[in-house]
Amino acid sequence: MSKYLKYGMLAISLLIGFSNNAMADDEGKALFGQCRGCHAVGADAKHQFGPVLNGVMDQAFMIAGDYDYSAAFNKAGESGLSWTDETMSDFLAAPMSYIPGTKMAFPGVQNEEDRNKIIAYLRLFDTDGKRQDTASDETAALTPVVTEERKLASDFAVPEHGVFKLGRVALTEEINAWDIDVRPDGTGLPPGSGDAITGGELYDAQCASCHGDFGEGTGRWPILAGGHDTLTDDRPEKTIGSYWPYLSTVYDYVRRAMPFGNARSLSDDDVYAITAYLLYLNDEVDEDFELSSENFSDIVLPNEANFIADNRNNEGFRSISIDELCMTNCADDAAVVTQRANVLDVTPDE
Amino acid sequence: MKIDKGDIEKQERRKLLKTGLAVSTTVGASLAGVKSATASTPDPLITEIQDWNRYLGDGVDARPYGMPSKHEAEAVRRDVAWLTADPKASVNFTPLHKLEGIITPNGLCFERHHGGIAEIAPSEHRLMINGLVDTPLVFTMEDIARFPRENRLYFLECAANTGMEWRGAQLNGCQFTHGMVHNVMYTGVKLKHILDEAGVKASGKWLLPEGADASHMTRSIPIEKGLDDCLVVTHMNGEALRPEQGYPLRLVVPGWEGNMWVKWLRRIEVGDKPWHHREETSKYTDLLEDGTARRFTWEMDVKSVITNPSPQAPINHGRGHTVLTGIAWSGHGRIKRVDVTVDGGRNWTTARMDPHSFSKSLHRFYYDFDWDGSELFLQSRAIDEFGNVQPTKKQLREVRGVNSIYHNNSIQTWHVKQDGVTENVEIS
Repeated sequence: MSKYLKYGMLAISLLIGFSNNAMADDEGKALFGQCRGCHAVGADAKHQFGPVLNGVMDQAFMIAGDYDYSAAFNKAGESGLSWTDETMSDFLAAPMSYIPGTKMAFPGVQNEEDRNKIIAYLRLFDTDGKRQDTASDETAALTPVVTEERKLASDFAVPEHGVFKLGRVALTEEINAWDIDVRPDGTGLPPGSGDAITGGELYDAQCASCHGDFGEGTGRWPILAGGHDTLTDDRPEKTIGSYWPYLSTVYDYVRRAMPFGNARSLSDDDVYAITAYLLYLNDEVDEDFELSSENFSDIVLPNEANFIADNRNNEGFRSISIDELCMTNCADDAAVVTQRANVLDVTPDE
Repeated sequence: MKIDKGDIEKQERRKLLKTGLAVSTTVGASLAGVKSATASTPDPLITEIQDWNRYLGDGVDARPYGMPSKHEAEAVRRDVAWLTADPKASVNFTPLHKLEGIITPNGLCFERHHGGIAEIAPSEHRLMINGLVDTPLVFTMEDIARFPRENRLYFLECAANTGMEWRGAQLNGCQFTHGMVHNVMYTGVKLKHILDEAGVKASGKWLLPEGADASHMTRSIPIEKGLDDCLVVTHMNGEALRPEQGYPLRLVVPGWEGNMWVKWLRRIEVGDKPWHHREETSKYTDLLEDGTARRFTWEMDVKSVITNPSPQAPINHGRGHTVLTGIAWSGHGRIKRVDVTVDGGRNWTTARMDPHSFSKSLHRFYYDFDWDGSELFLQSRAIDEFGNVQPTKKQLREVRGVNSIYHNNSIQTWHVKQDGVTENVEIS
């Protein structure tokens, strides 16, 4: 065999190997995004709300020895179950019904193909978090360069708009896809509605694992409810009910960024329902309340009036002029330490 | 790097030799006050031929993208794990005590993400301008590269920088107390050029930049600022933006709080009112003692900090000549003057300013002095070109209380003890 042919075959085999893994990587990695709020994989992975998933496949139910599993999970592990393609797929389809009592308050991945892609992605990581598919760097060098036929500069159309005639006109569908922002006056709210009871179910499944069953927050995740009349306390609790000025902020933020790790997965009605439930958790509405695009602007949050414009320029110390600054003998007595950072000892170790 | 047994033996031998000379360079080690100014035995680093004097080093292709020396391993961004719930919505800190001059190297610029680092191919990135404009537009990165561009040096400071120090001295190191700041030379397009291309309607008074990351970060910015000095940038310090700094496109809002500098910028909407989104209501509003809260506190006030000596960079030499240095900045403009005290504010001396002075950029100051070996209480006080003076902690607490979180620009005190160890303290 000529050495050129050998190189060619090597290139092809590398390309095939690479493309399969690249697919598992690209799609599985993207789908794993919805897990990443609680789980990590890779060499630097650490336990978060959920355990590290390095090398989880083909192992007994509990592999992360230093993770604090739920009693339900421990029980399932003791029964000798292990993570096969089948058990993982069934589990991912509906975690809370597969292992009732699991801490994994996640509704599940409906699509079987998506589940398989996530499983394929998990299989890429060994127990040390090392990737099993490290494609040779030579692949890139051996990939043939596809050269497009270049158009003549004079064949390009020049737009009509603007000063520099750059960019193109945005289509309505494109604007609608991205322009989802909502303002306090209701501008931007989509048509729809949702009630607090439905919102409670969605919240328990998708929000409670971080924000707590009653919006009280777990760990250092944000507290969403309570804290009324605490803003002048030594330790204020800034929640939707106690601090946020506008309800539109809740709708806008949940719609654009929540749940953490699976943004834009909620329907407009889901967001109405969750927003209604958050009002209920903050004692602003009754349990049977339904929020809609129609009644949205009727809701006024209690702390709205306590927000003021930036008036830092009126602060007294700002009137001191440079000429008034003391340069010598500015105090009679020597400086004495009143507080030391060492006492708290919260600085990370080197 | 390969290390074989021979290397280790050589290292051990050198360690022994060094110990014999009593030359301790261990950070934080107590001062060898009896250190002699004359050597009793010859320095083997001079009298012996070292490996690097004899053997060849790596060739040109060994480091296609050069990295810092392995001896600089401590010059890295570091986080304070207990601050936040999850590393994908968290912050780390610039190692200010390891840096000189006014440019922050790209790999050391602190990171703040709200949904992790978005990894975006430039060919798949779009910038949309919509809302109150004559022609809503979509730009590719190739389009952006065809606008007239310019280079500007600006600091970016997180509004929460020094936020952990409101109640008192807490973190030991300027990296942690002041490290949510960096200073970068940006290359990009005036936002005005991009807005003019779409044509802002007369009713357009506010801008809403939006990121393409999983947090879809948004902030409301008044149009006057957008037309004044905001930039849409593609490069930092001469190379493409780093992914963690918003590659391939970020907004630059000079002098204003870092949260507004939307990374992975994909859309700017023009509107007639502000949006009051999460990062300008729930967060980035400043709660005062009476329960009211300031909103839209955009400008970063005049501020400075001494970076050396500081808790992570104690004085490791004996009495005698030493160099104190630090950085100063103001969101209003240039720094005019920095005063330094070594006795906790009883007497002040005006520091020597490094001549590179740019508006809304870090400034570098120095104070060279003979340390007599007594304890020091170091402070710096910056003054900007508009006469804004950096306040004391007491002054700030008197008007704001301790629950503001944001915009703590007060004067920092470092206590240098007689052995050179340095600590974050508050003083009378």
